[in-house]
Amino acid sequence: MSYAFYPGCVSRGGCPELYPSAVTVAARLGLELEELTDVGCNGAGVLSREVSDPINARTFAKAEQRGLSTVMTICSTCTGVMGQANIKLREDPAYRERINREFLADEGLEYRGTVTVKHLLWILHEEHGLERLKAAVRRPLRGLKVAPFYGCYIRRPDAIIEGKPQRKQYLERVIEAVGAEVVDFGGKGKCCGFPILTANETNSMAMVAAHTGEAKGKGADCMVTPCPLCHLNLDGGQPKAEAQKGAPIGLPILHLPQLIGLGLGFNPDELQLKRHIVPTRSVAEKVQLLT
Amino acid sequence: MQATLKVYRHDPDAGGKPTFQPYPLELPEDATVLDGLVKIREELDGTLAFRASCNRGFCGECTLRINRGGRLACMTRVASARTKEGEVTVEPIRNVRVLKDLVYDVDQLLWQKIKAVEPWLQPTVSQPEREHVLSDEQLRPVRNAMKCYYCGLCDEGCSVIPFDNTFLGPAALTKAYRFVSDPRDGARAHRLRAIGEPRGMWDCVHCFEADEHCPRGIDPTHRIMDLRDAAVGMGIKSGTRNPQVARHYDSFAASVKTSGWLDEGRLALETWGVRRIFDLLPVAWRALRRGKLPTPYRHPKRPGAERISRIFEKVERRSP
Repeated sequence: MSYAFYPGCVSRGGCPELYPSAVTVAARLGLELEELTDVGCNGAGVLSREVSDPINARTFAKAEQRGLSTVMTICSTCTGVMGQANIKLREDPAYRERINREFLADEGLEYRGTVTVKHLLWILHEEHGLERLKAAVRRPLRGLKVAPFYGCYIRRPDAIIEGKPQRKQYLERVIEAVGAEVVDFGGKGKCCGFPILTANETNSMAMVAAHTGEAKGKGADCMVTPCPLCHLNLDGGQPKAEAQKGAPIGLPILHLPQLIGLGLGFNPDELQLKRHIVPTRSVAEKVQLLT
Repeated sequence: MQATLKVYRHDPDAGGKPTFQPYPLELPEDATVLDGLVKIREELDGTLAFRASCNRGFCGECTLRINRGGRLACMTRVASARTKEGEVTVEPIRNVRVLKDLVYDVDQLLWQKIKAVEPWLQPTVSQPEREHVLSDEQLRPVRNAMKCYYCGLCDEGCSVIPFDNTFLGPAALTKAYRFVSDPRDGARAHRLRAIGEPRGMWDCVHCFEADEHCPRGIDPTHRIMDLRDAAVGMGIKSGTRNPQVARHYDSFAASVKTSGWLDEGRLALETWGVRRIFDLLPVAWRALRRGKLPTPYRHPKRPGAERISRIFEKVERRSP
């Protein structure tokens, strides 16, 4: 089965290490990706939905045109924004019809409402199968303590998890599948603060300090997130959050494909761990001792 | 059913520190946490203070933190809330001043913030000549917001308030939405400007916690997003004291409109300006060394970018 791959802007912008690591890991796992190159940014919860709904309908129509039924994302925010737009377009045929008529018809496109939006994390559980992931692990990450951090949009609102509460445990199951140890903490489903980095940087950095500090305090060697926007704040914002808090934190933040890639046996360099703001040397050293 | 309610006890007037007092109870299988509290007060300890009224999820009086999560005590069954050890922790919600035990001051949490959004209709004309007839469809969003009974659960679940209690919060912003969506109100632009200032709607992280907490199905986060969309549609993209929010929106939209995707380097530069960028230099320098600093304006167009551009143009033509 092929997936319509929607990499999002940040995986090649502010987090350029994400795109190649996701593609590398997907190839090793045998996930066939057909990248959607001629589609737009989904709006990321910033753009007015008046604009972003038609842009997303166009993306779904492009996937349908290729005969693909699942759009695969590697970003919690993309998943949530596109997922919510899709729910509205699928459940309200009159709305879909209006968007088709007003925005897509002149390009000869039509969204018929047959597409599903899924994060790589969901695909691993619901389509690929966690047992197959476990079987592909060549370097169990024994002793690596990993704190999960989801990103709001992949957990809320309720409609987005489509009646599957187990989706709120998927990260923990992946951490276990690659042989690492889960560090559970209260902040795992909370907001990273990225959406208010512009409007209220102080609050945004306080959130970074709280969540990374809590995970670190519970003994985490690193944190893993399926959301590059969370990564921008938790990794890129961590030095500033430390300064605001007046105490060091120093918690490396891995992208989901990087953690999986380490378990699959790729080297930290192949997964571009060196490109992070918070040094990942401690994780790389710990992992390389396992090989 | 056996259960132990561990109840927050504190009388600030009497001094001393807060404690959690365990009350072992024998309760019917379908008992709610409120049933448990009533039993404690009537049979075990008449000094326990708590607030409750309708006992059927209709008034929003018994909002508490039950096992570290915001809930209505009358709508939470002990059987489903208790831990493996048979315990249920009951305490006041966060970010409030406790008056005694489970009774807290709602003024700072709710009423002051709700007053700040001018929660009254400001009609377009002072004395309409006849009644203002509205269709059911026009009134639907207003009615939805009017279902709010000020239980405060959305503010309790809010991601921002624990960090900054000056944030208006979802309850007050939902109240603002009630008037912004009312066709009879003439202060729409004034309201959107006011709640666009710092600590208002742009300070919301849109984490959707409020929607999960609201027992009335109002979906306050969605209403905040509606307010933002309405403001953007009217060209009110920030308040006067947070102009960077408007610059962020405009830059984001401009780069998606021209290239199909987001130019993050441009977004940072246009949002913050060159002077502010210097503040970010230590991190920017690290990012540059690691090859992850997006270069502004060196941003190739995506295939089909002109189609994305056309979508923007169509929406812009439609907006007032």
